Amino acid sequence: MKNIEIKKDVNFIETLEEKIDHDGPFSSWELFKMAYDAELITITKDFHGLRALEFLPHMSFLPHQIETAKQAIEEMNGRAILADEVGLGKTIEAGLILKEYMIRGLAKKILILVPASLVNQWVKELNEKFFIPAATFRKNYPWDSYDIIVSSIDTAKRSPNREIILEQHYDFILIDEAHKIKNHKTKNYEFVRALKKKYCLLLTATPVQNQLIEIFNLVSILKPGHLGNYESFLEKYGRDRKKINQDAYLKQLVQKVMVRNTRKDTSLDNAKRHIETIWVDFTPEEYEVYNELDRTFQHASAFSKITFLRELCSSREACYLSLQKYVNDEKNYGQDILQPIIDRIGQLPHHAKAQKVIELIKQIGDEKVIIFTEYRASQLYLQWYLQQHGITSVPFRGGFKRGKKDWMKQLFKDKAQVLIATEAGGEGINLQFCNYMINYDLPWNPMRLEQRIGRIHRYGQENDVHIYNFAIRNTLEEHIMKLLYEKIALFEKVIGHLDDILAELNISSFEGEVKAIMSESQSTGEVKIKLDNLATIIQSTQHAWQEESQYGN
Amino acid sequence: MAINLNAFLENYFDAHHCDILSNQNGVLTVQLNEKMDRALMNRPFYWHYIKKMGRDGDPMKLTLITNQDSLEEKGERIHFGSPRLQQILNHLKENERFTRLFQVIHVNHNTALQPWLVVNIKLSYIGKHKKDEVFSIGLNLINGIMKTEMMESLYNKEFGMQISDFCYTITPIIKPLSGYKRILSVMDQYIQDLDHEWAKESHEELEIEIDMLKHFYQGAPDEELEQMEKELQDLNERYLPKIHLKVVNGGIFYLNGN
Repeated sequence: MKNIEIKKDVNFIETLEEKIDHDGPFSSWELFKMAYDAELITITKDFHGLRALEFLPHMSFLPHQIETAKQAIEEMNGRAILADEVGLGKTIEAGLILKEYMIRGLAKKILILVPASLVNQWVKELNEKFFIPAATFRKNYPWDSYDIIVSSIDTAKRSPNREIILEQHYDFILIDEAHKIKNHKTKNYEFVRALKKKYCLLLTATPVQNQLIEIFNLVSILKPGHLGNYESFLEKYGRDRKKINQDAYLKQLVQKVMVRNTRKDTSLDNAKRHIETIWVDFTPEEYEVYNELDRTFQHASAFSKITFLRELCSSREACYLSLQKYVNDEKNYGQDILQPIIDRIGQLPHHAKAQKVIELIKQIGDEKVIIFTEYRASQLYLQWYLQQHGITSVPFRGGFKRGKKDWMKQLFKDKAQVLIATEAGGEGINLQFCNYMINYDLPWNPMRLEQRIGRIHRYGQENDVHIYNFAIRNTLEEHIMKLLYEKIALFEKVIGHLDDILAELNISSFEGEVKAIMSESQSTGEVKIKLDNLATIIQSTQHAWQEESQYGN
Repeated sequence: MAINLNAFLENYFDAHHCDILSNQNGVLTVQLNEKMDRALMNRPFYWHYIKKMGRDGDPMKLTLITNQDSLEEKGERIHFGSPRLQQILNHLKENERFTRLFQVIHVNHNTALQPWLVVNIKLSYIGKHKKDEVFSIGLNLINGIMKTEMMESLYNKEFGMQISDFCYTITPIIKPLSGYKRILSVMDQYIQDLDHEWAKESHEELEIEIDMLKHFYQGAPDEELEQMEKELQDLNERYLPKIHLKVVNGGIFYLNGN
């Protein structure tokens, strides 16, 4: 009982007496009772457990996410490194932890530091998924008067922001991509250390990249002294990152402040994936137009050429529309050469892939199928074409409003056999009731493919899932399929480390890399060699990663 | 405590004198009045200008969907944790703190009503973790009798802002202030008697982390000691156990009988 500070409400009785003297105003019985009920339904009855779950009924959390949130709060007392592999939902875990502290009334003043490119995404996710009223830092939301701010670390550490921020007492600080502040000699590191904070989360998929001292630095932000002091740590463990695997004691210590879930230990793989490549041949007319388009653009803008060719592999409509747009733009040359091609596209028979889709769906039978395409024109075309064959379908786009998304999902569940979606961006929409997916065209960014598959292959999926990837032989689709997806074995192995690997290789955008290869190469042969090289490098880094990344829990 | 959200909302708007336009299958549509529009719809500029122009203004209609299976598209989905419900709960907690109520009874002879001080209290225990506990305590301002779970015993009674016919109130012998002090001293006693294992655990954790912190800064140059002080403060902030006693709401109730 000693050593507990007790703070009591002192104003209540005086205000009540004043009101009695002034004969009110008073609350009615109904409202008075409701206010009491409001308190009863919002209090936290227990020290343990996650109340946030009741507050977020629209979210379906994975078991490892809930476990992680509990561990960070109950065992790590709100200071933790969240180091899940990419794609397991670190953002979700962090949001859940933050929400819990907010509900319990322990966090009010909150600062979220993320890379500049992710600021808007964080604001959006916190607001939409967690109802956390976070705002982007702006001059008219001053640091000291707005409670929940998302900012890039560069903005935050710049004067005069820096001085104001260091004045604040933050209840909760979150730092995304925390491996960027692992070096204790940098300004960023020093800035983060200097923040006044109660709870703190560091998010990183790669807590140790080069040296073991990096983990020491991260831990020292959360719990200085947990791994000893700088000198003693260096003396004991040196700089070798492999030591963390050898030293069981160190590993144990790190586990007290770090949660790391890997795909292997999450139960995501209960339902198996069956992945099949469906090779399609263009009809002779289609090949003719494809090759003609390829030749025509040989020396013009290579970038547009790739786009047009990709579109032609998807549907006549997609290619037709954007070629037409290109021709109508007076800045572009070659109208006279292109117009005949456009006319020929207009006369092509039904697309070879679309015909294959019908064949495949008939074969699948009565099961629900989700089709992903990269293009809206293809989406519309497919919807029409399916209807011609008596197959019901509903469209789905990332741009739909929330209500419309839910409505389409419901229609798909209850009424239609097929859902045709243009992007995996429909995050938060879970389609576990569907076990069949057709990737009508492949995205050039494998992470996006993983997101697509994640719509149906996720926790709660009890049946095996079947995934069909379409590609047209002798087109650029073949290169992408053979050289990227099949060689890196991206279909079989869940993508996992790809992000880390790309970071280590200094490749910022996979898709950009592929596009560059496509557009800078002079011949198909060159494209093949370059893609093959890219795949080889990734493959070898992948092996290295698998051997080393066994630390953490 | 589980509540029927739809009924809760209907009562809420009803108590604020808003017309319920329809309420079917968990889809509630209500015509707000000006006061509630101002409280909930977050459009101060609208009201500012409409009043400047000397007009009445059009309060909005609000459709709240509590039935999560409803396919109704127009309206806001509202559930536990949604911003709208949080807003309404906060609106209640902030505005309905004080009352004076008379029990409604139908009699045709003179009947005395006794004054009670009713105080609803929330205790928050804050250490490594946090939990809350709510008490409802009533104190008879004539004879000093105290009751717990007071609200629960009042739930089924009817109360009004005015005194019923043939009823009269007895003047308190105990002043509300002294009554309040008595209630607080009972709470003090309650807190004293509790087993505060949570606080002990929190203290222990604090000690461990302070030791680690000191070790971390061992032999550090003086300029780093300032940083250590800051981190010590952060630790105290996070782990030092405290109890907050907050009055949820309360007031004077005139009750018939004891």
